[in-house]
Amino acid sequence: MADKIQELRPKIVPLGDRALLVRFATSLSAEANAAAIGFAQNLADAPPQGALEIVPSLVSVQINYDPTQISGSQLSAELSLRYWGMKAEPSGPARTWKMPTRFGGAAGPDLEAVANSLELTVNQFILAHNAAELRILATGFAPGFVYAGFHEANLQVPRRAKVRDHVSPGSILFAVGQTAIAATPIPTGWHVIGQTDFRNFDPSMQPPTKLRAGDRLIFEAVS
Amino acid sequence: MSAVIQIERAGPMTTVQDTGRRNALNHGVSASGPMDQSGFACAAAEITTSGRSGIEFTTSGVALRLLSGNLKIGGAGGKFFAQLNGAFLQWPLNRELVDGDVLDITPGPTGNFGYLRFDREMDIPLIMGSSATNTRAGLGGFEGRSLKADDQLSFTGKGESAPAPYHINPERSDPIRFIWGIHADLFDHDVRQNFVTTPFQVSGQMDRMGIKLNDARPVFAAGDNLVLVSDPVAPGDIQILGDGTPIVLMRDHQPTGGTHALPPF
Repeated sequence: MADKIQELRPKIVPLGDRALLVRFATSLSAEANAAAIGFAQNLADAPPQGALEIVPSLVSVQINYDPTQISGSQLSAELSLRYWGMKAEPSGPARTWKMPTRFGGAAGPDLEAVANSLELTVNQFILAHNAAELRILATGFAPGFVYAGFHEANLQVPRRAKVRDHVSPGSILFAVGQTAIAATPIPTGWHVIGQTDFRNFDPSMQPPTKLRAGDRLIFEAVS
Repeated sequence: MSAVIQIERAGPMTTVQDTGRRNALNHGVSASGPMDQSGFACAAAEITTSGRSGIEFTTSGVALRLLSGNLKIGGAGGKFFAQLNGAFLQWPLNRELVDGDVLDITPGPTGNFGYLRFDREMDIPLIMGSSATNTRAGLGGFEGRSLKADDQLSFTGKGESAPAPYHINPERSDPIRFIWGIHADLFDHDVRQNFVTTPFQVSGQMDRMGIKLNDARPVFAAGDNLVLVSDPVAPGDIQILGDGTPIVLMRDHQPTGGTHALPPF
């Protein structure tokens, strides 16, 4: 693994005049995601001069900087040095979260259709879904919204053709080999398969979100 | 002594803003802050000492009444008309209000966003370190929402000396500089060439999340809805929707996007 991460050869590109984006891939993979999480952690442990915010995403890391402290090209060079000198090991043990979830019924109106499309019974689907080794891939899109992956090839479904204007906080969403958790009311084109009481966003708390990219996630069916 | 104002009239996008919410992207929250940062800073500079929070208003203007105390108010951004108890004042605005005064801001010849700043700190809870209203997430500012008639804001303490703003001449009409975004290579050479040689027009469809551009030529045709991996986006990014509509992302943008992103800045 130690040498493998560097093989991804990230591209460092400007995101406007006060942010850089370190992109590890143009499509989602476990390797690119792990590299983004690892590099963001490395930077957060010792932020480069002028860096204001370090934000890991699915396959990239956004670095917002103060252009009066460092130029984009200087920071880009600094990021290159940091990346090529980085050890691949994650900086701490992964935390594990249990996510008690009510599957199906009013809590998961799309569960049956999803199971049918995979030629599984609802119970078979729930068992397969909850047996997956899932990790938080990224926080993004909306407050406290997390993507978790990856499911095996036999649990892949596309997004829904129609976007729902509004799903409630705690909705468990499923599509494209991932499970996502809504923390606030959002529109979504993903399938709603369940509901959890867990809320990953509370702006009165410090920090306002609990789940971090890299954390393990175990779903448990409850009634 | 504290001062209290009451909103008498507010357009639909009248919000409390400060310079924005830092370190919030990690939690899926964009920074928010003023749509026109220069106007926000200029309003504070008018009164030299200012609290961190101000009121952002739009072409609908805003009217407020000072219910108690006295309060110095600076106003800037665009060219709006200001009246104190029915008498016109100069814009940009610098005026001390005494209790009972009614300040009424109405649209002028230019400017989509205007600002009022105050010589005291607005007594409003900081959410994730900021008073800025995020209209997408419904957090910050006044109960997470836009201001409306009868809302009351109180002010206590003293503001800090306002830094000198950088002035932008609103009459200037220079080309907007840009850099190609991470998905620009998804558009062929001709489209990119047309992008820099064709005028676009700001449409009436704008809010704090984004501004839709009219593309009369059109430069961008409807295309397949590409599913791209979500990457971070920034204010100023131009996203091309599946039907070819260009949208410039603004302060309350969603933190990540998977639509075509052409250029930031």
